[in-house]
Amino acid sequence: MTQEVVALAVMGIDQHENGVMAVSRVLMESQIQVEYLGTCQTPESVAEKAIARDADVIGISCHSWEYLTLVPQLLEELKRRASPIDVIIGGSVITREDALIMKDAGVAEVFTSSTENFDMVECVRQLSADRSNRL
Amino acid sequence: MKTRSDIPLEASYSAPDGSGENPGEFPFTRGRKPNPHSGSWIQRELSGEGDARRSNEQIRYLLEHGQNGIDFIGDAATQSMLDPDHPLTRASVGTQGASLCRKQDYLELFEGVSFDGISVSTSVPAPFALAGLTLAAREKDFPLDQLRGSVLQPPLYMEDCAYAWHVPVEVRIRMALDSIEYCTRHMPRYYGYLEDTYFFAESGLTPVEEIALGFIQLRLIVRRMIERGVDVDSFAPRIAMLVDCGMDFYEEVAKIRATRRLYAKMMRDEFSAKNDRSQSLTITSHTSGLSLTAQQPANNIVRGTMQALSLIMGGVQALEISAFDEAFRTPSKEAHLLGLRTQQIADLESGVARVADPFGGSYFMEQLTDEMESRIRSRIDEIEVLGDAEELCRQGFFRDIFHRAMEDSHRLVENGELPIVGVNVHQLAEEDDTLLRDVASGKIDPVHEHTERVEKFRQSRDISKTCEGLARIKQAMQSSDNLVEAIVSAMDADATVGEIVTVIRRSVGIESDPFDQPLPEEM
Repeated sequence: MTQEVVALAVMGIDQHENGVMAVSRVLMESQIQVEYLGTCQTPESVAEKAIARDADVIGISCHSWEYLTLVPQLLEELKRRASPIDVIIGGSVITREDALIMKDAGVAEVFTSSTENFDMVECVRQLSADRSNRL
Repeated sequence: MKTRSDIPLEASYSAPDGSGENPGEFPFTRGRKPNPHSGSWIQRELSGEGDARRSNEQIRYLLEHGQNGIDFIGDAATQSMLDPDHPLTRASVGTQGASLCRKQDYLELFEGVSFDGISVSTSVPAPFALAGLTLAAREKDFPLDQLRGSVLQPPLYMEDCAYAWHVPVEVRIRMALDSIEYCTRHMPRYYGYLEDTYFFAESGLTPVEEIALGFIQLRLIVRRMIERGVDVDSFAPRIAMLVDCGMDFYEEVAKIRATRRLYAKMMRDEFSAKNDRSQSLTITSHTSGLSLTAQQPANNIVRGTMQALSLIMGGVQALEISAFDEAFRTPSKEAHLLGLRTQQIADLESGVARVADPFGGSYFMEQLTDEMESRIRSRIDEIEVLGDAEELCRQGFFRDIFHRAMEDSHRLVENGELPIVGVNVHQLAEEDDTLLRDVASGKIDPVHEHTERVEKFRQSRDISKTCEGLARIKQAMQSSDNLVEAIVSAMDADATVGEIVTVIRRSVGIESDPFDQPLPEEM
C-alpha cells in the first residue's frame, strides 16, 4: 500500500500553530506523510502546493473565523483546477452550525477539539483510499 | 484593614524576630513595595473588536463598569503591521481585535476617553502603538509626560509565536530599543518595554522555560541599550514584564516571586543598576488562554478565577483574565464583564490582596521559589552559552523550542498525564454540553466597510504630505534617528502602518516581499 500524503496548512493571516502541530504529530506517528505548507497560505497557494506534492488530502487548521471565507474559496479553486483532493478542516473555533455549513459547501470532514486521534487517522486513510480508487 | 471577626490586619507580615526579607526590600521576592493596599492592582480586560469606533464603545463600556486601566489589542492585520486592504488580511479585519492602521483610527479609538488617572496599555506592535497614543494625546491636549501604561515588545520571538514575522529580527530589536528611548525622552511615566512572556508561553512552555526565555530577550535588550551609551538607571525603571498564568497554582505564585528576585539580582549585580526602581520589577499578567477548553466552556470561568488568585497572591501590578469564551472566539461583551467582575469579587469580597505576599515565610513556598529561581537561572545560562540570542533566533533555535512545547503539551493531555476536566477526564456527551455555549458560539464578521473606508482614505489624503512623512522613515532607517519619532511624523501625515513597514523593509534590502503595501506613486 502506498503511503498517504496529507498537506496541512493555515490560511490567511492567522498564526496559531498549536493545533496544526498536534495533528501533524498524530498523523506522522501513524506513518502518514505530512506536507506542512505553513501559515499565511491563500486558497490559491494551498491548491497549487497540494497538487504539486500529490497530496491525497488537504487539512486546514482553523483558529480564526477567516476559514468561513477562505475554505469555500479553496474548494472553488480545487474545482477550477479539476483536482479531486478532499479537504478536512479542524479547530475549536468551528461551531456545530458552521460545521454543517462547511460540509454543505463540500468539506469532506470536520475535526473538532473532541475528535479522537484514532478517528482522525482513520478518516485520512479512508479519504486517501477513496481518492486512489477514483484515480 | 481587618477581618470579618474584627481582627486587625497589617499590610504585611514578617518573621517575629525581624529576620528575613520584607516586601519592598531587595531582592523584592516579596513584592515591589512595602505597603501595597487592597485594590492595588490594575483591573482590566483585553479588548478590541471591529473598527476603532466599535473598540471605543467597548473601552467605554468596560470603564463604566469599573475597569481602571485599558488594554487594547489589534486585529490580526494590525498585529502583523499590515493594512486592512491587504489581500491576506481582508477576511479577518476587526474579527480578533481592533483594526488600527492610521492616525484617524487612534483618534477614534480614544474619543471621549480621558487619559487622566488611567493607564493605557496595548498589545499592538510597540512603535505604532506609541505613535498612535502620542497623536491621540496631542489631540486631547493631554501632556505626553503624564501618560501611563505599557506597550509590549517581543523582538526575538515575534516570528515564531506572533504576527509580524516578516520584519527581520534586527529591525524588530531596533524597534524595541527606539521605543524605550522614545519613552525615556517623551513619555517618562510609560513602560516602553514590557517583556511579554505570555504569548510565547502559550505554545505550551513550562513556567521555568517561559521565564528563562523572557530573561534571554530582556537581557539582550538591556545589553543593547547600555551599548548605545544609555545610563541603565534612566531606562530600567521603564521596563516591566507581562507573564502568563497556568493552572499549577503554587508554581505560578513561586514563579512571580522568583522572577522579581532574579530581576533584582540581575539588574544590580550584572548591569550595575543603582536605584530601587531599576531593581524592583513591575509584573502584569494574563491568565492562560491555552488552559481554556472548548468543552464545557463554563468551566473556564473557574479556571480564570483560580489563575487570578495565583497572580494576586504572587503580587502582580495589573491583571487580565482571559475571557471564558476564548477557546471559541474573540471575547464577547458578557465574557469581558465576567472577567472584570471576577477581579472585583476577588478584590472587594475575598480580601485576598489585603496582605502583601501572604505565602511569604511558608516552608513550602520559600523552597519552591528558591527551586524556581535556580532552575530558571540554569536554563538562562544554558542558552546564553550557545551564543548571541539574535543569532540563535536567526538559526531557528527558539522556533524549535516552541514547536517541541506545542507537541509536548498535547502529548501530556493525550496520555492523561495532565488531567483537564471535560477533556480527558469527566467529559460530557456533546448534546449535554450546552451551558453558556450560545455565548461562546457567537461570531464577529469582518468589517468590510472599514476596509472600504481605508481604500477611499488612500485616495483622498494629501499625498505629497504623506510622501514627506514616509521619506522621514527612510531617513531614520538610514541613520540613527529615533524610528518612533519618525513614525509619529509619518502617521501624522496620514501614512498607514503597512506603508511605513514597506519603507522600513525596503530600507533593509527586502525588495520583493509578498507583504509589501503598494506605496503612493510619488514615493
